[in-house]
Amino acid sequence: MTSYVVSGFSRTSGNQERTRPTAHVTAVHMGVAAGVLAVAAGAFFGVRPPEAYGVCMACHGRDLVNWTINAVVATHLTVAPASLVYPLLTTVGVFVGALAAARRHGEFRWVTPDHPVKTFLYGLLVMNFALVAGGCAIRLALRTAAGEPLGAAGFGAMAAGIVLGTGWLRWRATR
Amino acid sequence: MTAAVTSLLVGLVLGYLGQRSRMCFVGGIRDFLLVRDTALLKGLVAFGVTAWVAFPLAAAAAGTPLERTGQADAVTVLLTVAGGFGVGYVSTLANGCPLRQHVLAAQGVKSSLTYLAGFFAGAVVFHLWVAPALFRVLP
Repeated sequence: MTSYVVSGFSRTSGNQERTRPTAHVTAVHMGVAAGVLAVAAGAFFGVRPPEAYGVCMACHGRDLVNWTINAVVATHLTVAPASLVYPLLTTVGVFVGALAAARRHGEFRWVTPDHPVKTFLYGLLVMNFALVAGGCAIRLALRTAAGEPLGAAGFGAMAAGIVLGTGWLRWRATR
Repeated sequence: MTAAVTSLLVGLVLGYLGQRSRMCFVGGIRDFLLVRDTALLKGLVAFGVTAWVAFPLAAAAAGTPLERTGQADAVTVLLTVAGGFGVGYVSTLANGCPLRQHVLAAQGVKSSLTYLAGFFAGAVVFHLWVAPALFRVLP
């Protein structure tokens, strides 16, 4: 029976009573759906330019925040061309969709597994790194799939970052 | 308007599926390295392969080929690599990619809610201070 905890978010395997409540949707289903929707949004529904912009949590979140600030206080913060008239609402959709799923399956509960200030800083850093790279984890993968060498470089660097980050987590846990 | 509505609907679907599948675009590599669990990694691969197949098909169907970006200069490559590395490293420490953090926040994880607060504040910080500073420093 293995069980492991990664900073507060626990997943267990082998112990059937505590694991995977009703995991009918696998990560592969999600991956395929995300791939189809991301490409279709760009090709048929005007979520472009830039290219390979169908799904991105960082860029679309930036568009929403900056568009709103621009509309309210008449600033000229950067938004992508796809968000000039109305902002892309992917981030809102994901939040509401996940809330609906969690509520429907009784998985909504308030927990605080990590220090809020620490995670605030993580969020701030990830957004800045993602905007420098031109995409969050999803869009870097999407740009790679679109055959963009620069996106592939970013994705490779991200994989290296994950390897180093995981090494650090492991080192800290076994120290 | 079409793009905004589409992105909202796409987000709703991905949020729902993301909550059910616990998908994380960073967690796949992490889980594989830590415990040789390939569940999430398969999702990442499925996403990449699906998009790779769908891009040319969709471009042909829509009649709008993907615009090829020109040769990137060294500074852009450097920034992309540095940014990508940062996304991977910090997301691993933060216990999930931005999509996963949105899902966790919607499940009631308060530290992910503050992550999102930092995330959206980060957009403003980037465009007000970080980007101008980078423009000043870089050639």
